[in-house]
Amino acid sequence: MRIILPGDKISDNPVRMENAIVENGKTYATVMGMLDDEHGSFIPLESVWYPRQGDFVIGIVENSKNNVHTVQLDSPFRGLILPPPRPRFGRGRDDRFGGRPQREERQEILRVGDVVSCFVKDVKREADQIILILERPRRLFGGKLVEVRPSKIPRVIGKASTMLKQLEDGTKCTILVGLNGIVWMKGENVPLAQKAINKIQEEAHISGLTERVTELLASQNGGS
Amino acid sequence: MRAENEEYILEMLGKGAREHEREHMQYREIKIQTNTIPHAEGSATVDIGNTKVLVGVKLAVGAPLPDKPDEGALVTGAELLPLASAEYETGPPSPEAIEFARVVDRGIRAAEVVDLDALFIEKDKVWTTFVDIYVLNYDGNLFDAATLASTTALLGARMPKYEDGNVIREGNLGRLKTKGSVTSCTFAKVGKNVLLDPNGNEERIMSARLTIANDQDVVKAMQKGLRGSFSYKELTDLVDATFDKSKQLRDMVNKAVGE
Amino acid sequence: MGGGKNKPELIVDGKRTDGRAFDELRPIKIEAGVLKNAEGSAYLEWGNNKVLAAVYGPKEAQPKHIADPDRAIIKCRYQMAPFSSLEEHNRSGPNRRAIEISKVTKEVFENVILLDNFPGSEIDIFVEVLQSDGGTRAAGITAAAVAVASSGIPMRDIPYAVSAGKAGDQIILDLNKIEDNYSDADMPVAIAPRNNDILLLQMDGSLSKEQVSKAMEMIQKAGETVTKLQRDALEARYR
Repeated sequence: MRIILPGDKISDNPVRMENAIVENGKTYATVMGMLDDEHGSFIPLESVWYPRQGDFVIGIVENSKNNVHTVQLDSPFRGLILPPPRPRFGRGRDDRFGGRPQREERQEILRVGDVVSCFVKDVKREADQIILILERPRRLFGGKLVEVRPSKIPRVIGKASTMLKQLEDGTKCTILVGLNGIVWMKGENVPLAQKAINKIQEEAHISGLTERVTELLASQNGGS
Repeated sequence: MRAENEEYILEMLGKGAREHEREHMQYREIKIQTNTIPHAEGSATVDIGNTKVLVGVKLAVGAPLPDKPDEGALVTGAELLPLASAEYETGPPSPEAIEFARVVDRGIRAAEVVDLDALFIEKDKVWTTFVDIYVLNYDGNLFDAATLASTTALLGARMPKYEDGNVIREGNLGRLKTKGSVTSCTFAKVGKNVLLDPNGNEERIMSARLTIANDQDVVKAMQKGLRGSFSYKELTDLVDATFDKSKQLRDMVNKAVGE
Repeated sequence: MGGGKNKPELIVDGKRTDGRAFDELRPIKIEAGVLKNAEGSAYLEWGNNKVLAAVYGPKEAQPKHIADPDRAIIKCRYQMAPFSSLEEHNRSGPNRRAIEISKVTKEVFENVILLDNFPGSEIDIFVEVLQSDGGTRAAGITAAAVAVASSGIPMRDIPYAVSAGKAGDQIILDLNKIEDNYSDADMPVAIAPRNNDILLLQMDGSLSKEQVSKAMEMIQKAGETVTKLQRDALEARYR
């Protein structure tokens, strides 16, 4: 593994991969990252969130008009929550699913300023910008929002969510991680959760991170 | 309209041709008229194709710059007049207009067209030369048109007199003292092509622009603009091309001012 | 650039006023990621120049009518602090010089940032010159390049900028303020090192064709040093 910087060559061949461009048949990095020459994998150290279908995001309702909500996601792309489609049969029912109202169809009552979590349903290129169609909005009551650099989000979650689980257990908090770089936390020891997340952000690239986070959580809990 | 022209011009360039059957390194027709605004101390109107630029020169008495107490001053301004193009708007000068004026200014200044030493009057009193560039019709390559017009206007300008606290602008006057002369050649990069004297259509699709101002011996000013790039080889080739093409421009200036 | 009657000798016994060789850079120090709020940032000392650069975004372009539906737009502001120079207090706010430098700096980054990835958005680049001693636009571009690279905003290369000029008949590298004031030519250049693309080129004074080439070669050679310092600053954050 070695650090490479924007403009550094990743491969003498054209390789279609994230955070890289192909010029004259060769592949070059576009962000700082760690390159594993053996396996050809490239993990960005810094990157900008680029939305994808199915991404879990957290944002703030910014505007509300005709039942369409605009969500500020701390990104250049505007999120939109559209009103649910009209039920095809009967009131609020969709017979495709055996007549039970689906989670997707249940409309939360949202007001400007509310914190919501959503999933990206669609990334649409509109006339003048990219619009994210969001679905399954869930209002988040209370709690605290923390900004995390999008490139560090995978480390906050950890392999198979191990890191996140450890954080939640160690702080007795519910922690929701938006891929857009916004993390919501609520529970017993929010300051500790925030401390741990900051540690992850700052030391994500140094090995032994899990152990150090375990240590931090244990030391703070032991004191109480 | 932009998209259609873009395709058309790129298609032509693919065949090695330009609008109006021009070579890559060929100017459009250039016309220089001197003394078009007789009220001004100096003036010239230059046409390059459909581009039309007027430069007026005025002199005024004022305080010297604090760091240059014993020489006159030179102030160059440019107005992209709304009447010159549907794309120009009223309001404070845009960054483009400011860059344009400053690049022309650097050429005139570096070539010492105006002899600033000769503009000293007495302690705390010097002449300031105002060069005002008025773009009357835009069809590309304002830089070369404005430099031609400025040089011509300055070389032919009258020198007012300062007597007993009064400025005398009429009567039997000499000429503004000048030392050098400068012209510029502007090149546009369109795709992989480099074109001398881009017209408006070519400028709308160029990725980069390079202006090289020179006298007969040396380069006096350069400015690369826009997001595209030039290679080192292109730069040296264009310096060569500038020395070659500027002969024609200098001859025109000399003829216009009667030398 | 230019004259003045009290022009000092810029080269005495084959050395420059500050003792440097003709092709010698001033000492340069770069630190990446110095500002918490910015997406990316850098602090750079280049001789007596002290420059901060920061980048924000991409975010929704404001006001909306300036948005480009095909790509991100860049807003760039280069500014010299009112207390930055050894001479008089500078009026704050953008003057014509600063507006031009902001424009050509913006154009450098329009070349290297992958703007197409973020249609409708804007990226803001700020260059604040805290102390100035000649060559601030080159210092600003060099610092801003580190700031952008440290932000994760995708870019095809990390540009650097260096200026060269002329004292008497001698081409000299990286002019300080006194040299800048009294030199016979000044030529700031920014280059994307991977292909040696010239992204910024300005010049005024007097240079023959051969001198232009000599200056370009000096700049490219110095660029290897500057690039190395930029890389070290970026990598230092992860060591």
